[in-house]
Amino acid sequence: MSYQVPSKFPTTVIGSYPKIAGASEIIKMRDKGLISEAEFHEKIRRPIAEVVKDYIEAGIDIISDGEQSREDMVVYFAHRVKGYSEGDWVRIYDNMYFRKPIIVDELRREASLAIDDWLYASSISGGRPVKFIITGPYTMMEWSFNVHYKSREELIMALAKIIREEILDAVKAGAKYVQVDEPALSTRPWKEEAELAGEALRYVFAGLEGVKKIVHICYGKLEKILQYILDYPVDQFALEFKNSNFRLLPYLKEYGYDKELGYGVVDVHSLQVESVKEVRNAIDMLMKLDILPPEKVYINPDCGLKPLPREIAKAKLINMVKAAEEARRAW
Amino acid sequence: MEIWGSVLGGYPRTREERHALRDLERGAIATHELEIRTLMASSVIIGSQEAVGLRYVVDGMVDWHDMFRPFASAWRNVTVGGLLRYFDNNFFYRIPVFTDRPDPEYFVWPGRLRTFSAIADPQPLKVVVPGPLTFTLMSKNASGMSKEDLAASIASALALELRAAQDSGAIAVQIDEPMLSDSDISADDARLAAELISSMVSGLKVPSILAIYYNVPRDDVYERLLDTKVTYISLDVADAPSRALDLIAKKGFGGHRPVLGLIDARRIEDDDYERVKEWLLQATRGYDGDVGVTTTTWFDTIPYRYSLRKTVILGSYVERLASEVSRL
Ligand SMILES: [Zn+2]
Repeated sequence: MSYQVPSKFPTTVIGSYPKIAGASEIIKMRDKGLISEAEFHEKIRRPIAEVVKDYIEAGIDIISDGEQSREDMVVYFAHRVKGYSEGDWVRIYDNMYFRKPIIVDELRREASLAIDDWLYASSISGGRPVKFIITGPYTMMEWSFNVHYKSREELIMALAKIIREEILDAVKAGAKYVQVDEPALSTRPWKEEAELAGEALRYVFAGLEGVKKIVHICYGKLEKILQYILDYPVDQFALEFKNSNFRLLPYLKEYGYDKELGYGVVDVHSLQVESVKEVRNAIDMLMKLDILPPEKVYINPDCGLKPLPREIAKAKLINMVKAAEEARRAW
Repeated sequence: MEIWGSVLGGYPRTREERHALRDLERGAIATHELEIRTLMASSVIIGSQEAVGLRYVVDGMVDWHDMFRPFASAWRNVTVGGLLRYFDNNFFYRIPVFTDRPDPEYFVWPGRLRTFSAIADPQPLKVVVPGPLTFTLMSKNASGMSKEDLAASIASALALELRAAQDSGAIAVQIDEPMLSDSDISADDARLAAELISSMVSGLKVPSILAIYYNVPRDDVYERLLDTKVTYISLDVADAPSRALDLIAKKGFGGHRPVLGLIDARRIEDDDYERVKEWLLQATRGYDGDVGVTTTTWFDTIPYRYSLRKTVILGSYVERLASEVSRL
């Protein structure tokens, strides 16, 4: 089955989707050792199928598996990469705690991490491309503890090696869009941090041809970090705009941005469904700046849709797709 | 050069303390039972600092949900609202909401000092309060007052708190202004902070510390702070050493005594002694007064067991530095 992705303003998602009923319980069963990893990926297919159905009904061109397997973008991988311990308790807010993963030994990837779910989503996507999405080395480093590696440089490269191995296997399996998520980067928006992450990403993506290489960053001080990441070896940055009221737009112009842009036009932290007109206005606002041709602009939400109720997430996507269709006629 | 050590601020909760707080919320235990658990947790924390010879000891503040909460609870005209990310941490604080000028119903520190001084004895305790600028900028201002007026009223309430703490036996007072390291802070805001903090500490007999952490302040912001009337300025060095040392080399401490955040409080691996020593030497080039060595931030975002280990590292490194560096 082949699917024609529109040449102008293709629509896509950042990755996560609200947890479909049952998914959290399946994750718990796996974490408690009640089911094997293979059984886990088998059981999680039902939630993934629901997500894919919503994406297709909304009309999204490039979809994801909705990250139904992942309780958290770091913990999921930490549970599957050798060298991580179960972690130790740290506070998130008030008296709420979570187990933050700890790197206690040399990191090793003994089996594929996220390819099963990607393969399954691809098998039911009606030919639509499915993004292969993985948490980036900088974010894995910053959101884990480490007692094994002697320096951050050594640690981030060990993570980069594992992420690269996983991506190479995903590409071998047919992935055409690869997205690395680096939300931690905008929380420490300094040149030396961007350089550290950049070196790791250069290694992750080295020699990858015929694949769309995407990095997603959101929130924090995006306008500060942007100037330091423009030389990253990627085709596209997928960035949050809507939540920060598009304050990033003038910086694209200022820095002469010329990569593809994943343009975040839907706020995942607001229950208000953006109207078609609102999204369309956001697209027009970008296009009037005359920075990028419509072929280089992908339309997506700011970030993963996980924080929203399912009906609202879907309603937001439906309006986003309609607005992109209108924009294709106008630009 | 005289070198001393102190942990910057709060400690993480023990499992006991977490469970006790949860049990209290569920109504399964009474307040005095929580107090006993808190006392037990705090005793270990105080003991660990004294055992390694730290000069200024903190009680750990394990019962605080975030730095603002105890003051928001103690003051009339302040409530707390939704959660917001706390700097670059994966930790969220509740936004204080000011509906009018804060009016202290009771003081936060004197009661704590009475309880914990007995445990810490003979060592007196350091008290920590949020700075007026950080408090103001991280709150919601629904008071109808201008930002400057609200900040001034918060500073007044905090000044009363510091006085009461001194009268209750505090050995030093620390004012935390992490917002001053934010890259978007204006020079005007820095000037406002300097004025308000100077007025808060005027008349205090105990030493005062202005603590800036999570990042390194901009040059122009830092310049405005150099005439603040505090005894010590405390900077976060280990988090971004090149920028911190660069700032210190360029601007110095403006006649204040330095406190250097050399032990990383947000990472759990052991700090490298040689690097810590190198940073200390670089930061104090040409200076010959007393120097505090501290943690980059509070300990409250790492697991409990590592906070104890880091306390030992701080104490033992200070001892080594004192013997090696004074011999140089
Ligand atoms: Zn995101």
